[in-house]
Amino acid sequence: MARGGGGLGGYALRRLALVLPVLLGVSILVFGVMQLAPGDPAAIMLGAQATAEDVTRLRRDLGLDQPVAWQYLRWLGRVIQGDLGRSIPLGREVLPEVLLRFKATLILTGGALLVAVVLGVAAGILSATRQYTWLDKISMAVAVTGVSLPVFWTGIMLIIVFALGLRWFPSAGMLSPYGGGGLGDLLWHLVLPAVTLGTASAAVLARMTRSSVLEIIRQDYVRAARAKGVSERGVILRHVLRNAINPIVTVLGIQVGTLLGGAILTETVFSWPGLGSMMVRAIQARDYPLVQGGVLLIATTFVLVNLLVDMLYAVFDPRIRYE
Amino acid sequence: MTPRTWLGSWLTVLGTLFLALGAGAAPPPDAIVVGLLAEPVTMDPPQVTDLNSTRVIKRMFEGLTAQELGSYTIVPGLARSWDISKDGLSYTFQLRPNVTFHDGTPLTAEAVKFCFDRQMNEQGPFYKTGTYPYVRGFLGNVASVEVVNPLTVQIRLKAPLAPFLQYLAHHSLYVYSPEALRKWGKDVVKHPVGTGPFKLETWEPGVKVVLARNDQYWGGAPRLKQAIYVPIIEAQARLAAIRTGEIDLTMDVPPDSLDGLRRDPNVVVAETNSSAVWYVALNTRHPILKDRRVRQALNYAVNKEAIIRDILRGTAIVSHGPMSPVYGAYYEEKTQRYPYDVERARALLKEAGHAGGFDLTFFVPESGSGMQSPVEMATVIQANLAAVGVRVKIQTMEWGAYLKKYLEGPDMAEMSWNPSIGDPDHMMYMLLSSDRFPPAFNAGFYQNPRVDELLRAGRTTIDDARRVPLYREAQRLVAEDAPWIFVDHGKQVIVHRTRVQGFKLHPNFDLVLTPVSVQ
Repeated sequence: MARGGGGLGGYALRRLALVLPVLLGVSILVFGVMQLAPGDPAAIMLGAQATAEDVTRLRRDLGLDQPVAWQYLRWLGRVIQGDLGRSIPLGREVLPEVLLRFKATLILTGGALLVAVVLGVAAGILSATRQYTWLDKISMAVAVTGVSLPVFWTGIMLIIVFALGLRWFPSAGMLSPYGGGGLGDLLWHLVLPAVTLGTASAAVLARMTRSSVLEIIRQDYVRAARAKGVSERGVILRHVLRNAINPIVTVLGIQVGTLLGGAILTETVFSWPGLGSMMVRAIQARDYPLVQGGVLLIATTFVLVNLLVDMLYAVFDPRIRYE
Repeated sequence: MTPRTWLGSWLTVLGTLFLALGAGAAPPPDAIVVGLLAEPVTMDPPQVTDLNSTRVIKRMFEGLTAQELGSYTIVPGLARSWDISKDGLSYTFQLRPNVTFHDGTPLTAEAVKFCFDRQMNEQGPFYKTGTYPYVRGFLGNVASVEVVNPLTVQIRLKAPLAPFLQYLAHHSLYVYSPEALRKWGKDVVKHPVGTGPFKLETWEPGVKVVLARNDQYWGGAPRLKQAIYVPIIEAQARLAAIRTGEIDLTMDVPPDSLDGLRRDPNVVVAETNSSAVWYVALNTRHPILKDRRVRQALNYAVNKEAIIRDILRGTAIVSHGPMSPVYGAYYEEKTQRYPYDVERARALLKEAGHAGGFDLTFFVPESGSGMQSPVEMATVIQANLAAVGVRVKIQTMEWGAYLKKYLEGPDMAEMSWNPSIGDPDHMMYMLLSSDRFPPAFNAGFYQNPRVDELLRAGRTTIDDARRVPLYREAQRLVAEDAPWIFVDHGKQVIVHRTRVQGFKLHPNFDLVLTPVSVQ
């Protein structure tokens, strides 16, 4: 990001061109790490009951007996042609599989982001405008707790209270096993996982919003706006929040990454059929093609979200120019 | 309006909205919802290696032979009868007439040959449509599969193999529609076409698998119209789902919750002994552990009852050897026993010259199928051994890495074995024969020439009456040699709603739905 002349379009294109080397680096790193991790996909898949010859033969059939560099290059060659290969234990093509799961992860992340923004920004503004009151203290105390709670604990507690105890929400899954299937069914299943995943981010956003708003609220132009008789609501929404928003957007961009990462645990606790819970199984099975495909998709999303955040700065603050 | 009533009415509105928009309804009257630990991996029988997939595909596919529900007794499957030649080398199967696959194609001897050839013939046109984990183990001894006439198939073996009829009841040798394989190729993994009582209706990855009743089933259509499988990974969530009635049947709920479930009038806790065994393999080549007295001392030192009572909450029975009582006549009751006896353990260690104790590294997986509570159990074992002076350092590992370590033959390591084949050979030979040293599963390098002789004889003796004494003697010898710390045989525990009627447990953890109905 820089100030001065230049167009947003050119800037976006240059940033997009950088995506490829980033993804290449990510893929080499992940491939390397997966190779370093002890364990063999064939042995894990076959478990105890197979013979040693069966394991050897499966390794050969899967091409795992080839040199690692060659395995990587062969994979890369196919990826360039748009073929992410087939999952080792699933036997299914990786690309449709990860895209399908990614859709579920996006729904969850979207829900969590909504929870985070609504709760976080509201709590932050409330805290800032009523600094040092009991409301401020309580919401910041809640925020500190929210950041500190591990996702799996929050998730299990919500299941025990709201699914088992009160029976307001289902305990697992994205859709009902019978009946249902509509948008309402999806939203009904989304509530607990989204709250679980969004809580920590809401807390981070609340703290950021509070400090950002506090900084702006003391500026002269805010006092001027109040003096000329703008309502308090107008002052906060039009003058304060508008100027306080860039740091919030930055944090929000980082939170998207955190949410995508945190989704792994939330998806496991709630059996949400997303990329995260699938990746856990893939890593346990040393399912190299599926892990590679999933990581590439997550990395691409992360890079694109960061780009989007950088471009949003200019939308919120017209003084910012890209070159 | 008080905040409480305000919240209440808000939630009512929200609830109505969810329902109006199509949220889930009450359980249907003719379908069962099963909560699995994870979703099925693949639906191509020869490629299936995990229990979740097995529990689903066994509703859709069948083998030439089958196990009687509730026991390991072999009964006719797709073959209504068979003849075994005197030399034990030739098996001739008469197929049931008028059986069709779910796609309408008929079951023929050609189809059986096709399914076996796909796996065995590496040059065959369909070999590359999958990977076949068990082919060497189960078909390695097969010389040929020949079509005698449209409903007669003959399988010739290279050497007599006693458990062969059991192998044919294993899912990897189930028969599927050759047409379906030709049509789908590698994608057959998501397009299962068998002959079973249920057929695939939909599979929404990660969400559910729906099987529908096969009205044309040769054995008579099942009573359930649908079987719906949903993955619920987290044990607490499974517990919540079975208690609220979101699902009808599930397994592996937290052991702590069992007492509460037994008191719940809406659910039934069904449990039975299984053929699974949980043990600590001891390396018989280790300079200290190679002394049998030391291994026996470790067996006396471990308080198995306490582990079962306090950690497993009664979901297991004490193990006195590799085989559990589930094996019926093959199970040997009169083996050497190792009750919890600290004094006896100390005396044996002293006799072996290790009164001052010694140090060992104990490898433990963090989790793993059938591993029960591996870390907690290891901690108790560690404390028990410390009481007799054996200093054990626990090293935990993630399952994939652990398996690799285990197959390198560590000094001391936990393992469990849940045989998919209902034959003692698949337990004793696989785990304790010297033919099965690492990288196979005899990780402790246990070797006793007499045991080897008995187990090899057991593999090739077809007559049950002559086989039983072989395995009984082998069990007595193994118990004396103590190549493992024998710990427990896990029970199979299934929880289902009371509306589920007629459910019966099967020793290999299968969930058979044919006799089941719901109210």
